Formats: sequence, structure tokens, C-alpha cells
Amino acid sequence: MAGQSDPHLSIFSPSEVEFVAEDEIVEIVPNIRMDALNMICGDFGPFFPQIPTKVPLWLAVALKKRSKCTIRTPDWMTVDRLTQVLEAERESPREFQPLPFHYIEISKLLFDDARDDISDAYLVRSLIEDIRDVRFHKVETGLETISGRTHAVKLKNLSAMEVNIVRPFMVRTLQAFYKHDSPQMIQQADNTGSRATPVTDRGPRRDLRRR
Amino acid sequence: MKGRVVKLREAHKAGSPALCCASWGPSGQHVVTASAADTAVLIHDAATVLAGGRGSGSSPVVTIRLHKDGVTALAVAPGPSGSLASGSMDHSIKFYTFPEGEFQSNVARFTLPIRSLAFNRKGTLLAAAGDDDGIKLIATIDNTISKVLKGHKGSVTGLAFDPRNDYLASVDSIGTVIYWDLCIGAEARTLTRVAPTFRSDNSVRNILCWSPDGQTLAVPGLRKNVVLYDRDTGEEVCTLYGDHEQPVSCLCWSPNGRYLASAGLDRQVLIWDVKSRQDIERQKFDVRICSLAWKPNGNALLLIDVMGRVGIWESVIPSTMKSPNEGIPDLNSTKAPLFDDDDDDDDEDEEKPSTSGGLEDDMDETLSDSTPFSHKRPRRKSTFDRDSDNEDLTHQMESTKRMKDKHNKKEDAGKARGDSATSARLVTARMQAAFQPGSTPPQPGMRNFLAYNMLGSITTIENEGHSHVEVDFHDTGRGPRVPSMTDYFGFTMAAMNGSGSVFANQCKGDKNMSTLMYRPFGSWAGNSEWSMRFEGEEVKAVALGAGWVAAVTSLNFLRIFTEGGLQMHILSVSGPVVTAAGYEDQLAIVSHASDCLPSGDQVLDVKVFNISEGAQSMFGRLVLTPLSQLSWFGFSENGQLSSYDSKGILRVFSSQFSGSWLPLFSSLKARKSKDESHWVVGLDANNVFCILCKTPQSYPHVMPKPVLSILHLSFPLASSDLGANSLENEFLMRKLQLSQIQNKMEEMAALGLDTTTYDDEAFNMEAGLDQCILRLISICCSGDKLVRASELAKLLTLEKSMKGALTLVTRLKLPLLQEKFSSIIESFLFQERMLNNKIIAGTGRFCSNATIMTSTTVLTTQATLPSKFMQDGNSSLESSLPKPNLVNQQCSSTEPKNSAGEQGIEIKDSTGKVSSAFIPSTKVPKSSETKKHRNGASNSAVVDQNQEGDIDHTGAKKLSTEYCNRAEPQRPVNPFAKSSSSKEQSSSLLDSIKKMKVDKPNSRI
Repeated sequence: MAGQSDPHLSIFSPSEVEFVAEDEIVEIVPNIRMDALNMICGDFGPFFPQIPTKVPLWLAVALKKRSKCTIRTPDWMTVDRLTQVLEAERESPREFQPLPFHYIEISKLLFDDARDDISDAYLVRSLIEDIRDVRFHKVETGLETISGRTHAVKLKNLSAMEVNIVRPFMVRTLQAFYKHDSPQMIQQADNTGSRATPVTDRGPRRDLRRR
Repeated sequence: MKGRVVKLREAHKAGSPALCCASWGPSGQHVVTASAADTAVLIHDAATVLAGGRGSGSSPVVTIRLHKDGVTALAVAPGPSGSLASGSMDHSIKFYTFPEGEFQSNVARFTLPIRSLAFNRKGTLLAAAGDDDGIKLIATIDNTISKVLKGHKGSVTGLAFDPRNDYLASVDSIGTVIYWDLCIGAEARTLTRVAPTFRSDNSVRNILCWSPDGQTLAVPGLRKNVVLYDRDTGEEVCTLYGDHEQPVSCLCWSPNGRYLASAGLDRQVLIWDVKSRQDIERQKFDVRICSLAWKPNGNALLLIDVMGRVGIWESVIPSTMKSPNEGIPDLNSTKAPLFDDDDDDDDEDEEKPSTSGGLEDDMDETLSDSTPFSHKRPRRKSTFDRDSDNEDLTHQMESTKRMKDKHNKKEDAGKARGDSATSARLVTARMQAAFQPGSTPPQPGMRNFLAYNMLGSITTIENEGHSHVEVDFHDTGRGPRVPSMTDYFGFTMAAMNGSGSVFANQCKGDKNMSTLMYRPFGSWAGNSEWSMRFEGEEVKAVALGAGWVAAVTSLNFLRIFTEGGLQMHILSVSGPVVTAAGYEDQLAIVSHASDCLPSGDQVLDVKVFNISEGAQSMFGRLVLTPLSQLSWFGFSENGQLSSYDSKGILRVFSSQFSGSWLPLFSSLKARKSKDESHWVVGLDANNVFCILCKTPQSYPHVMPKPVLSILHLSFPLASSDLGANSLENEFLMRKLQLSQIQNKMEEMAALGLDTTTYDDEAFNMEAGLDQCILRLISICCSGDKLVRASELAKLLTLEKSMKGALTLVTRLKLPLLQEKFSSIIESFLFQERMLNNKIIAGTGRFCSNATIMTSTTVLTTQATLPSKFMQDGNSSLESSLPKPNLVNQQCSSTEPKNSAGEQGIEIKDSTGKVSSAFIPSTKVPKSSETKKHRNGASNSAVVDQNQEGDIDHTGAKKLSTEYCNRAEPQRPVNPFAKSSSSKEQSSSLLDSIKKMKVDKPNSRI
């Protein structure tokens, strides 16, 4: 994986996460008649004008770029729903509201390519940004509470992009705690210290997995 | 600046800017003020306020300190013995006497602060709203909440009763204006985001104000202006745009409606002459003015600013101009129009209080304006008329208009204005007016559909005397691109299909005759559009099909033109037309058969013409749900006549029971929530395509583009004790489709056409039906409905599925059924055998599996086949043929096992020999494999024949001749014609299989 060549452990770049998000299913209203498309990922269509169909986001965007369809805004991307979510996010500092796993990426793709299909686009965009900020802030404050005795951190409803951002930090933190806690690890680290650095890097990870 | 500076005097102490309000007493002697920063409501003497600038010792007449928090809203009830209402941040509303200011009662309590209050003109109703999600209407007589109007998304900051008491207008902090119909207590119109948005800023608020004649509603606009909206249509009448540098926050009409005062966030107060749309006076203040009020009986304006300082602007209107009190509109007399537009005249017609509804009057009206429904007024379309005069249908809509006038002041006027046929309420029913399927009522300033079908849409919008018509295809990839058209005729009806569009208008007076126009989408000749004009006649409905255009007129003439404009036929139809629809060469016309029944049911006839043949293929009564009207009519995608009524029932015409209407869809059952309705666009064999509409809207708007939803057709089944309604429905649907296909095949066969294209379809349909029946049988068995199960088994058409049923009951250990089923199979096999004999006899060319060796076609193919196929053919033939025989042994319990075994051997022998003699084609085994379920029957039949006829295997050709000799002498020219007429579906299936066998080798070669 491309991510593993990254110095920060297995982090995906935002564009990679976005790529993954393009498999999410959205609803489009085609304005052409087209036979079903048989893809490796599944069969989509047939397409009839003015009759909504569900397709993966990448296909929707591709069709949209050729102005062959309009993309229907997902339910959660309405001003009403987002306002509710934002309020709920603000009210409950300890938990996250359920949103699609790829909500940041989907909204970004839709704003880039299907802006005219979104009603109140400006408002929706600012709401999503607000929600994202609130959630990131929550994640950050949550990370502060991690201590040596933390065995697991339960983060329900965290989205892909958010996970991706905290992942390297979390892993490294837990590793660091683990390393400092376990005398054997310290020894091993000492032993391997003279060897090549990549091995040192991998050593603790393997042990972490075994546990 | 004129140098007259209005001095303001502090009435309420406010540390920071807070929303204040001020109001005149009804007599103009007192002034009431309140501030959101102060708990007190003050009643001042107007004179002291006026002098307030100079003298400082004056104090308010009455101080009321009953609220626990700042007072945000005030309202003074009109009339000499007025009362005062105040609403506060402490969530309560209180009533006081006026001008004494004695506390009377606590009226209502909200859960959140109150932002706005308004009395209606008579003071009988108080509307109150605020941050809560509903506007409460409170009857002042007993302080009961008579209605809660919900619909605003933001907090409601402005309320105003229409002086005519038909509407309440409200505006919220996000700028949405809603007209509420007070009669039905529901939204009549919503204008979203028309006023500025003040989300959380409580020191600014949107307000709105009705003109004193009730004709226009003034709302602060988004562009530092004041926008005036029409009372009935909600369209923008004009804007007052001038020197406000920031959005307008507050406005007020002068008592006569000639002038309007507006205060903006730029701290200016402007006085507008509404007629000339210009500001005539202005004044700039130190802080923002947040409330304005015209003196009810003088040339003075009461102002209060956000710091709680109050003042009166004396002689606002210069003496050179008309006084603001001159010509206060009297709502009981004919009002003077504010704007001299056509629009207004139209309104006037409508709003004019009724004079006598005599006959002479009718005649005048019909002569002067004979449009059945004006293209400007959407609501008139298809509302029911309550008039009891017996008029011609042509005059129906005029009388509707008159009736509305009559009822205008009555409470139910609002109800009569139902937006469409679906919301119409019947008192005395009227014959339904003509309509065009797929059209929506026109709305001023907005596009509406003239036609909307599965192919595309025709939309129109009126703009300065002429309309703009656009034709769009849903499928932008394929449909031709049609340039938009400027329409000087004012077309009100249209129809389209893939090759062209037809338009027509109603005549408006003598000058504008009814015109019919056809525009082909593409033609080999240039300029091939044409138009026809009708004198003294009016087009009521149009339709078009393959190569023809039809128009039905007010004289009940059906005029049929060719695509090129040739007048082909002119027929008289039996009654006033309701609608027409075309599909290929079929034209269906719905007309009134008689006046409505006393119960209110429409009496409609439907006729279907075949244009190319010049024949009438169907005539009958159009079935409607009681008390409903026809709201859509047309052909389904596969040419079935269908209708949809205002009660939401879709019916499809079927030839079952020699022609009957089947209810196949109910909007009421299909809808997910109560406020949903379906606007039908079209249907195919399984689904209905419709546009979902939310009440109060019962038809779609052009923008945003409506999206079709697909709903399954289903019979209105009674809920049976079986608990498998969906399966039962599937069963009925499949049966219907099968019968439709068989009908089509019969028709084709009768015409001597090739039915092969439908054979596969029919076979699949039968298989599907059998599958469904089998599932039903299993449910019946588990539900212990054995009789029903055996009835179902009789309906099975394929032998394979019968055996399936037998296995099923054997597994379920139901010996009774097992017996029944095997006897059914037996009789089926017997029938099949008889049938086989007949067919073999009748059709020398088409033979089933075992006799295929005799088939001439196969013989020819055999000759051409390469020899490498031969061996394959041989081996698979031998391997596949015995199998069905084994099955045969199992199922046919009547035949002794020995003989069955012998037959099997014999067959094997025969095939072996025949193959050596005739070199069978590869196709033979293949088809025998695919149609294994048939093999049993045909094999056994053939074997019998073999035995009886005592035929040796070497002469297979003799075999066929023998059959022919032994069978009945008559030999139909067309084998299909015979099978379809003499025997039921099984024979046609057999044909289909044989046909397939014959066809496939041919196609391969």
C-alpha cells in the first residue's frame, strides 16, 4: 500500500481516503437512457431519464461531469439535518453523532462537482465545516485523556478522515506507553538499538500486534 | 432634509440597543410603548409625547409592570373599546383594558419568548408567535387557542392579518413569508427567503404589513428595498427601491394605503408614495428606529428607536400632497385598484362582491370573457362549482368564478379554492371541465406544464403579453433538441409524442380565435409546422399519435388532421369532451354522457378510435371512484388504456370479462404519509410512474425538475386469512399480464402476423405465474387451506410445475392433496395428449420433440449440418431422452410400470435407429433438454402413436403421413389460428416451443 511508504506509519493521504469514499452509494437522477453497467463492483442501472437510481459516487461524479445526471443530495446533507447534528455535537462533548463514515469526503466531492444540485449549498458547506471542526476538537480533547493505563479508546461514529488523522498519533502514543511500561521492550529496544533503524521501527509494532 | 427634525424622548431605559415597539390607540389619543429591555408597558397621552421633545416633566399616563421580563410585542385591538395585548420574553401574553391599562387576563403561555402579536380587523382573533414553532391563533372572546399554525423554521417575528380576514401573513427570522388561509388553517402560499435573514440577532426583526385594502403585502426585501406581494397569487407586484443604504427592518402603511413608511438599519426613515414608487420624505436618526405606526386619523407617524426613545413625526406628508387619511378603503365596497395592471383588473373581477347572479349577468360574462379557465388563475381549474343553474359546460368556469365571489365573504370561500381536483369538496357536483392529461394549472410568474409524459414535457411561462414555450425531452441523449418558442397565441393546452407537439388555445374574445398548431420535431421538409383557426368554436382537448393530430372542440366536433395538416375526418362526439389521449394509431376520448348524478358522480363515456383503420375499437363508460373526477387519462407504455381519478385510484382497461376496468393502484394505500399525493405521469405493465407531491401542492412545479417515483401496481386485495397478500397480488398481476400477452398474440395471429416475438415472453410469463402459484400452494398447505391449494394446482400451466407441486405435497405429507394433484396431472397429461394428436395431425411442419425427426425443416438442416456435430447429437440424444421417460414413469401412476419401461426401451430403439437413418441435428437434443418438462408428455404420446400405428422405425416419414391420414381431415392454413381458438393457453405454449425449435437451427445456419 502506498500508505505504508509514508514515514508516519500507515497513514492514508486525504486523496487516498477520498478515493475509498468514492465507492459510497449515492442517488442520481439521470437524464439519459442507458443500459445497465456491469462493473466489477456490481451492476448499476439500467438508467431511465428522470427516474432516480443508486450508483457509486465515482460513477455519479463521472456522469455529472458529462452533465448526464443530477446528483440527489443525501438525506443527511440537508440544512435541517445538519443543523440538528451540529447542535447535538455541541451538546454532547463526549460522543459523536452518527454521520456517514465518509461524510467529509462525500460532501467535498459533491461540492466540487455537483454544487448546483445542492440546495443552500453555502449554508450546507458552512454547517459541515462547523461540524467537522467541532468533532476534531472533540477528538483532540479526547486524546488528551489517554494515559499509560489506557488499554483501549472507544470512539464510536468516528469518520474515516478523522480516524485517518488520529491514527498515527494514537498508534505512536500507545506504542510509546507500551514501550515505557514493558521492561522487556526496553531491553529489546536497547539490543536492537545498534542495528539498522528500520528494524527498530518495526520491532515494537510486531509485538503490539501479537498482543 | 426639510429641517423638521423629530425629537425623541426617552420612554424606556435601555442600556444597550433593544427591540422596542410602539402603537397608537384606536382613537389616536394614546400611544403605547414597550421595550425588550424593560418590563413595563407604558400608555402615554399622544399630546405629551408630541411635546415630549420640549417639556421634560411629562410622564406616562399608565405604567403596567406585570411582565417578569422585557416586553417584545404589543397589539392594540381596533374599535372604540379597544383592549391591549402584550407579549414578553417571559413567554406570556397578557390582556389589558385600553386606555386604562387594567390587567384583564393572562391569555396564553408559550415555551419560548414571544416575538410578535397581531389582532385581526375586528379584534376577535389574536395571532401570537415567537421562538416557538407554531403561530397560535387565540379567540379573544374566551382566550382559547383556536388553531396552531406550524410551518415556520425560524422564530416568527412578524404577523399581519389581512384586512379582509382571509389570510394571516407571517415572516420569520430567516426571511420566509407564509400566507395562511384562515378558513382552512393551512399554508396557502410560502415565499422562502424573501426577507433578510436575522438569525440570532434579536434586536432586529423582520416584519410585514398588509396594505389597508388588503391587496398587497409589504415585506422588507433582500436588496435594501420593500417588496410588495400580491394578495392572491403571492407574486411580486413591485418593489420600492431607493435610498436605504441597509436592509429595511420596519415598515408601515398609511391608513389609506397611499403611502408607506419604512425604517432601515441605516437609521433612516423613508416615506414612499406607493403609486409612483418614489420616496417623498426622509429623516435620519441617531440610532435605529425599530417601530413605526401611522396615526389612524391624522398626518403623523409614531416612531420608537432601539434605545427606547419615542417620538411623533408630525405632518409627515407635505400639505401639497394627498393626506394619508383621504380615501381610506372601505372593504365593503368595490375597492380601488392600487396598480393599474391587467393583473389587477383580473383580481377585481374575482374579488368583486357578488351582484345578483341572474341569467342576463351570466350571458354578459360569458360573452365578454369566454375563457373557461383563464390562464392566469390557477385555482379555478377544476374547482367545483356550487351554482345550481343549469348552464352549458362552456360556461361552467365563469359560474365558478361568480360563485366564488358570492362565497367570498363566507367562511368556506377558502375551501372552494382548493388547488386542484383532489382537494375539491363537493356540495353540488358539477360536470368536470375539460383538461389535458399531464398539465398543471398556470401560475403567474412561474412556469407550468402544458404536458408532461414519460417522454418529455412542454412548459410555458407568461411574460408581458406573450408566452414562452419550451419542449424538453427527459432523455437528453436521444430526444431531438427543440428550440424554444415565443407564443403569441397564449397556448393553454398541448400534447407531445416522439415526433411532434400540438398546441391549442382557447378563444379570448372576438379577436383571439381558438388556434390549433402542430410542430413536428423533425421533418424532411422545411417549415412543416401548421396551424388551424376555428371560428365560433373552441378547442377543448388535443391529442396526437402516429401520423395524426386530433382536436375536440366546444361544438363536440372531433377533428382529425394528418401530420402534414390535412383535414382528414370531422366527426361529432356524443358529449362535451373531458379529455383525449393518443397512442400510435389509437385515439381515446372521454366525454360527458350526462349531467352529474344527484350523488355527485361524474358520468363519463370513453371511446377508442383506431385512426388508421377508421374504426371504433371500444366504447363504454369510464369508471370513476364515487365522488371523484378524472385527473389523468392516457395509455400505458404498452398501449393499455388507463385512467386516474382524483381519489387516487388508477384503473387499467382489460379485455377480461369482455372489457372491464381493473383498479390497479391506490394512491391512498401507496402513500407513506398523509400529506403525500401522487401525480401520475404514466405506467407500464408492472409499475406506475408518478411524481410525489406534498400537500397543499397537488401538482408538481417545473423547477426544481420533478423526479419520477416508481410504484408497483397492485390490486386492492381484501386482507385474506392466508396472510400472503403480496403473493396473491403477484398472482393476479401475472395472470393479468399473461392474458394481455395472449390477447396480443391472438390479435397478431388473427392478422396473420408472426407471433414469435411474444412466444418467449409468454413462456416466461407462464413460468413466473407457475412459480408464484407454487409458492401460494405451499402457503396454503401450511395454512391448512387444502381446497384452495388444489384449486391453485389446477391453474398450473406447465407440467414441470405440477410435478413440483406434487413433490411439495408429498414432502409436506398431505396424502389427500397428493391424490388430488396426481389426478390433476393425469387429466392434464390426457388433455395434452389429445392436443398433441390434434396438433401433429394439423401441422405437419411443426412437430414436437420425438416427432421432430419427421419434421421437414429439421431434415433440411440435417442435410446442411457438418458431420462433426452428428456424433455429439447422437450421444446427447441418447443420454437425454431416457431421463424424461423416467420422470414419466414416476408421475404417471396409472400406467403400469412394465409398459412404461418398455416404452422407454422402445423409444431408445427408435431414436437410435432414426438417428442412424436420418442423422439428427444437434438441435434436437438441445431443445429436448431445455424443454424436458414437455418431453414426458410428448414422448409418451409419440410412443402411444408408435404402438397403435404399428410403425416401423425405418420409415419416419411415413409416420407423419400416417398421422395426417388418421387425424381429422380439416387442416387449418395457420396452425396458430387454430390452436389459439380451439384450445387454451397450453396449446399456444406448445406452439411456442416448437416454433423455438424450428427457429433456432435456422438462425444458427
